Amino acid sequence: MFTLNFLIRRLTQGVVIIGLVSLLIFTLLRVVPGDPVRLMAGGMAPEALIEKIAKDMGLRDPIIVQFGRYMGSVLQGDLGQSFVRPANGAATGGANFNDTTRGERAKVLTLILEALPMTLQLAAVTLAIALLFSAVVGIAGGLNPGGWPDKLAFYISSVFISLPNFWLGIVLTLLLSVKLGWLPAIGYNGFAYTILPAVVLAVEMSPVLIRTLVGAVSSQMTEPYVSVGRVRGLGRTRIIANHVMRNASVPLLNLLGIQFSSLLGGVIIVEYIFDYPGLGLLTINAVLQRDFPLIQGIAIVTSAIFVVINIIVDLVATTIDPRLDY
Amino acid sequence: MSIMSITSSHSSTPLASRSLARRVFDRAVASPGFRVGAAIFLALMLATALYPELSAIDPTKMDVKARLLPPLFTGTNWNWGHPLGTDQIGRDMLVRSLVGLRYSFLIGMASVIVMLIVGCALGTVAGYFGGRTDAVIMRLTDAQLSIPMIILAIAVLGVSRPTIPAIVLVLGMSNWPVYARMMRSIVMTERQREFVRAAKIGGSTDLRIIVTLLLPLLLPSVLFSSVLDVARMMIFESTLGFLGLGVQPPTPTFGNIIADGRKYLLNAWWIATMPGLFLGLTLTSINLMGAALERARDTVHAGGE
Repeated sequence: MFTLNFLIRRLTQGVVIIGLVSLLIFTLLRVVPGDPVRLMAGGMAPEALIEKIAKDMGLRDPIIVQFGRYMGSVLQGDLGQSFVRPANGAATGGANFNDTTRGERAKVLTLILEALPMTLQLAAVTLAIALLFSAVVGIAGGLNPGGWPDKLAFYISSVFISLPNFWLGIVLTLLLSVKLGWLPAIGYNGFAYTILPAVVLAVEMSPVLIRTLVGAVSSQMTEPYVSVGRVRGLGRTRIIANHVMRNASVPLLNLLGIQFSSLLGGVIIVEYIFDYPGLGLLTINAVLQRDFPLIQGIAIVTSAIFVVINIIVDLVATTIDPRLDY
Repeated sequence: MSIMSITSSHSSTPLASRSLARRVFDRAVASPGFRVGAAIFLALMLATALYPELSAIDPTKMDVKARLLPPLFTGTNWNWGHPLGTDQIGRDMLVRSLVGLRYSFLIGMASVIVMLIVGCALGTVAGYFGGRTDAVIMRLTDAQLSIPMIILAIAVLGVSRPTIPAIVLVLGMSNWPVYARMMRSIVMTERQREFVRAAKIGGSTDLRIIVTLLLPLLLPSVLFSSVLDVARMMIFESTLGFLGLGVQPPTPTFGNIIADGRKYLLNAWWIATMPGLFLGLTLTSINLMGAALERARDTVHAGGE
């Protein structure tokens, strides 16, 4: 019953947040200069035609009217059509305004659903690498506060957080792909192409995870239940694995929820460098082409994912630690 | 560290008289991480401030005869005049990196100042007045936190000319919610304390309480966290530069040097990698200092020392 209440409350809050995000993005896109119709129709299109297309598409109505119309169709599950991308996948950037070969424009939802699994795969591999690495370094550091593993964790996280992801991407490509030829780097043609981008993202993610783990583990180790466990005759490994880790994973989980949007920021850059056909590459191209419906669609989908992830994180956290209130 | 703690444990009177911020700072300075960071940072700052002028090399001057020279001790035709080599049109990489560091650092500082002002102002207002004001500001921060700022930054800078003030503003707007939240939570706990209530009974206005009582007390601990944000903003700035949305060429910045050098990666690896090494070193030094300050703050506030 409490869970149901919690779900209803959080979902309503989530809907409010998604609404705010779409309004924010929607207004911002229309306030900043740069006419998408000019990009769609091509540089040579006459001014009158531009105005006509813009009017037909409703781009000259007041922003609030446009927003109302847009949200109306979003509620029916229609995210609209891309301004720029045709359904058959060919580029139309430089095409003439009266080019008859230009086909039907792609649906935003289809574009997003094609890219999303790729990014989820990247995110899953990243998370696996980052968690494994941070767990080893962070738990060792947290068990020896002040000792060398702690210092090592401190320096590793300080250095890792200082490596710009685009630079690391280039350096790793140079070393691992060009010089050693171990891993493929550019594009996507099988699972191996996920590894290098995932490593770069994991390096970007792990410093925060390591710091949180060190802090959480070292503070849990001073809790009375650890000494009680020892009195009860439990082995050190068992105390750490079953009890300390369980409690220390709660702050880690919360962090994963918060880190989501910065991870997405990293995904955009990394996918751009490695030409990885996921949501990040789609986003950056959409933004550079002023493809309004696509940007809006991505913003709505990502903020929805953000909301859902945070709800799941809170649910899992209360299952791990029942003392936490919903 | 050891000398410090011995003397302070013997005489606790000067300890108590020192302000909280001072104690945090002293504690941080005593840690090895902070010292290593500060040493690297000072050396880099000195080089950045002096070398481009002293060496009298113009970072944008081309010299086709000396193009694609490798850094010291690598390859065959390195020379002492260009310690980090030269790029595809013979510009000196060391001077370019150092000038890039100047821009990067100044933009990083300026944008942190912007985000501190916006974040602290909104956070204080939300925490102090509570109620509906609080709810509105907090929903706003929630919404902003759920959009990756890089999308907004690209959207804004992609169309309006990326001038330095525009970049500073965009970067500053990217991270203020964090400060707003931090400030809100500490103002909320502090405003119920006796000294605030006493000031209220004494007839102080809200503005007076905030400016003269709360801000001086709470700002230092927020400032300690903001050191780390300088590094984060410098990365953000170079990322924008890499995408071609930062300070525009011919002005050298880390981002545009690396983006440029990426095309010559196979025959001149140093163009793309050397500036990144510089940036990484600078950021590491700032992060070491920032992390030491945060750690010291947490121990002092938790009643340690």
